Amino acid sequence: MSGLSIGGSQLDASWFLLLSALLFTIGAAGVLVRRNPLVILISIELMLNAANLTLVTFSRQLQNIEGQLFALMAMTVAAAEAVVGLAILVDIFHTRDVEDVDDLSEMKG
Amino acid sequence: MATAIFFIAAVVAVLGAVGVVTFREPIRSVLSLVVVMLALSILFLLLSAQFVFVVQIIVYAGAVMVLFLFVVALLGPAREAARGRLRFQSWLSVLFALVLLGLMYSMLQGVQYRRPDQTDMSVFGTVQSIAVGLFTTYLYPFELTSILLLTAAIGAIYLSRRQVDDR
Repeated sequence: MSGLSIGGSQLDASWFLLLSALLFTIGAAGVLVRRNPLVILISIELMLNAANLTLVTFSRQLQNIEGQLFALMAMTVAAAEAVVGLAILVDIFHTRDVEDVDDLSEMKG
Repeated sequence: MATAIFFIAAVVAVLGAVGVVTFREPIRSVLSLVVVMLALSILFLLLSAQFVFVVQIIVYAGAVMVLFLFVVALLGPAREAARGRLRFQSWLSVLFALVLLGLMYSMLQGVQYRRPDQTDMSVFGTVQSIAVGLFTTYLYPFELTSILLLTAAIGAIYLSRRQVDDR
C-alpha cells in the first residue's frame, strides 16, 4: 500500500517517516539537553532537516512535486534563520562570555 | 540494492545525529551535522528528488555549514558548563524526547495514504518539473523568499557591524 518501487526493490514510505521522526526527536533532545547556544542552533538545523525528509517522502509517495517545493522553501527559511541566529550569537559573544543559555535571561521581564 | 543503500544511509544519519547532540566540542557537532546532511541527501536521491539532493549538498552541507564552522572558529572553543542550574534537566529532556518519539510512532501506525497522483515518473523531481511548479503556481511565495533572504542579509550585516565608537 505504501510501498515505493525504487531501483527494482520495494521500500516502504513509513521507513523514511520513522527515520525522520527519530532524527527530529534526537534534535529536540539536543535543544533541551545542551546549554551551549551554538549547539542548540545546530540541533534546530537537524530538526529542520528531519522535517524536510518527511516532505520529500510524502512528495514521492503521492507522486506530487509540491512536497519538494515545500522542502526547498524550508531550506531557504532555514538558511535565513541560521544567518540571523548566528549574527545574534556573535554579537552577544562579543560583549560577554556566555557558557549557558540561562545566562541570557534578562529579557524575561 | 536500494534497501541496502537506505539502511546504510539511515544508520549513518542516526549515528551522526547522536554525535551532534553528544559531542562536547561544537566543531565536532557541526561536522557530525555535515555527515547527517550528506546521508539525508542520499535518501533524497533514493526518493527521486534530484534537485533537492543537489540543493541539500550545495546550500546546506556547503554554505550553511561553512557559516557555522566560521562562527565556531570565530568564537573559539566554547566552554559548556558541566552542570546546569536545573537539576534533572537531561533526564527530563530524554523522557520528553522518548514521549515525543512514542507519539509520532503511534501516529505513523495509523497513517493512511491517498492514492498517488498519476505523474510521469521519468521527469519527477528534475530541475524542469521543480521550475514549472516554482515559476507558475508558487511564483508569489518564491518572490517572497527573495525578500526574506534580503531581510536576513540586512539584519545579519546590521547585527555584526563593528562598533567603532564605544558609547
